[in-house]
Amino acid sequence: MSTNTTTMDVFAKNDKISNIWLILTLLVSLFGLYGLFSVLINGHEAYGVTRTVPWGILISTYVFFVVSSTGLCLVSSMGHVFGIENFEVIGKRSIILAIFTLLCGFGVIALELGHPFRMMIYNVISPNFASAIWWMGTLYGIYLVFIIIEFYFLMNHNHKGAFYAGLGGFLAGISAHSNLGAVFGLLEARPFWHGPYLPIYFILSALISGSALIIIIFFVAYRSPSNMPEKVVKVLKSITKIFGFLIGILIFFDIWKVITSIYGAPPEKFEAVQTLLSGQLGVNFWLFEIALGMLIPFFIIIFTKGKNIKASLVAAISAVIGIFYMRYDLVIAGQLVPMREPAPGAHVQGALPNGLVSYTPSFTEISIVIGAIAFCAFLYLMAEKYLNLNEE
Amino acid sequence: MSENSRALKLAEANQKLANKRKGAKEKWGIVLDTSKCIDCKACTVACKMENYVPVGFYNYRIWVAEDTHYAKYPTVNRSFQPSQCQQCENPPCVHVCPTHASYKTADGVIMVDADKCILCKYCMTACPYDARYESHTTEAIDKCTFCYQRREEGKDPACVETCPPKVRVFGDLNDPNSEASRLLAENEYTVLKPEKGTRPKLKYIK
Repeated sequence: MSTNTTTMDVFAKNDKISNIWLILTLLVSLFGLYGLFSVLINGHEAYGVTRTVPWGILISTYVFFVVSSTGLCLVSSMGHVFGIENFEVIGKRSIILAIFTLLCGFGVIALELGHPFRMMIYNVISPNFASAIWWMGTLYGIYLVFIIIEFYFLMNHNHKGAFYAGLGGFLAGISAHSNLGAVFGLLEARPFWHGPYLPIYFILSALISGSALIIIIFFVAYRSPSNMPEKVVKVLKSITKIFGFLIGILIFFDIWKVITSIYGAPPEKFEAVQTLLSGQLGVNFWLFEIALGMLIPFFIIIFTKGKNIKASLVAAISAVIGIFYMRYDLVIAGQLVPMREPAPGAHVQGALPNGLVSYTPSFTEISIVIGAIAFCAFLYLMAEKYLNLNEE
Repeated sequence: MSENSRALKLAEANQKLANKRKGAKEKWGIVLDTSKCIDCKACTVACKMENYVPVGFYNYRIWVAEDTHYAKYPTVNRSFQPSQCQQCENPPCVHVCPTHASYKTADGVIMVDADKCILCKYCMTACPYDARYESHTTEAIDKCTFCYQRREEGKDPACVETCPPKVRVFGDLNDPNSEASRLLAENEYTVLKPEKGTRPKLKYIK
């Protein structure tokens, strides 16, 4: 165990990251400042959320970020926690991106919460242990501490330290993330979400997000497979296979979710799933969630047998875009069936003639989302450019 | 006094009153006979006035929904269903609140401590009755409190007091001699969405 690290080991310039990308991502993230100022000036009136759809695109983007973070942590733990030697090369990059995606997720949810600072106080002095949001928030806080320590040990080549911090991060991450599923899954009022399905589904989709992002960030780091060391190519091929296999399982999950929601037209579940199959979320569902998120990456990996990692990159980018919409669909579809019949006098906000309600993200919300994603990419590119994230 | 400070002051006073009434033995409820409702919406106005509910079409604590299951000519009729927070005995909003901002008083009224509310809106997604909204005056989630400020004087909530045909009867469901309990004993009644297991304390006479 060596902790005598010189700054040479921690910092190294990666010339493959061009300044143009850094500037570009920074400029796009400035767009998020528009959203930030808009909400600071106008308050939550600037959001498209309503009385009937209180959780909008900021919640789904938060979910997207923390799913990515958890997935990166879980997949990378195969290396330095579970000792699969090949996977050790992905550790540093996965964990630094896990930290950034989590921080950006926290940033987005801080803007969605009415009182983010009050949350930090009352989460501690007035905790409700029966609340899934309390557990989710607290466990993600603990998880953040673990992965920061883990990253520190990885940078210092302290394998034993990285193992313990990684194990802590793995346990906290998996508990936090299944609790995030439970935030939705515990709501008896919302049949589309209610049940044990979501905590399990969230872990599965986290692994998919993590695998896809790892493939993408290694292309960012090395630009093309020809620059990659043999070890990296090997691990990316393994990850591609896991990635394809997990998408297969996800397709299976989705098929049964849809069937159980339409068979016998169970009240409220049926109407919610119809918004995906043929309603207002139809394009999101079929084009983004199903085609880009599942079918395209699945068939790319099947037909290339996972051996062509350039093809894997296409599959990974497609899946990440699809997964972003998957989160949105999940969060919104669960709220589109109003809790009261939109009869005259009932004042059901956003009611449509078909008895459902609608939600459209506002420009402010969209700018925050785009800004946060761009800022996350900027942070990662900075880390990639100035830190030594290579394992060899 | 501005709209904001009046609403905040009322919210604070209600928290204090809830603390003071920690030993209360009552179980407040409302029994409704919707066949009497004339859809005058006086209850919704009284509620807004009494509780400084902020202006805005979707800022409301109570509502009067029209029953859309119309009969066919010539046996036409119109009926209405006034409602509000069901003051559930098993309240999902209280279970999910991360900071105990939503809580149940000793006498079974669900209230929001505006100081503790972080506006995560989890309670809004958990409530099967869409009975909550985000108030920009208290900067917290707001909802029906059975006009808790009136508990000390023993007055009925504003919606009950103002109703011309006396649709609502407010009372202690633990006291078998209260008018509300007597109505429940004499009539068949139902609650909204019983399948959710929330055990509402708003009872509708059939």
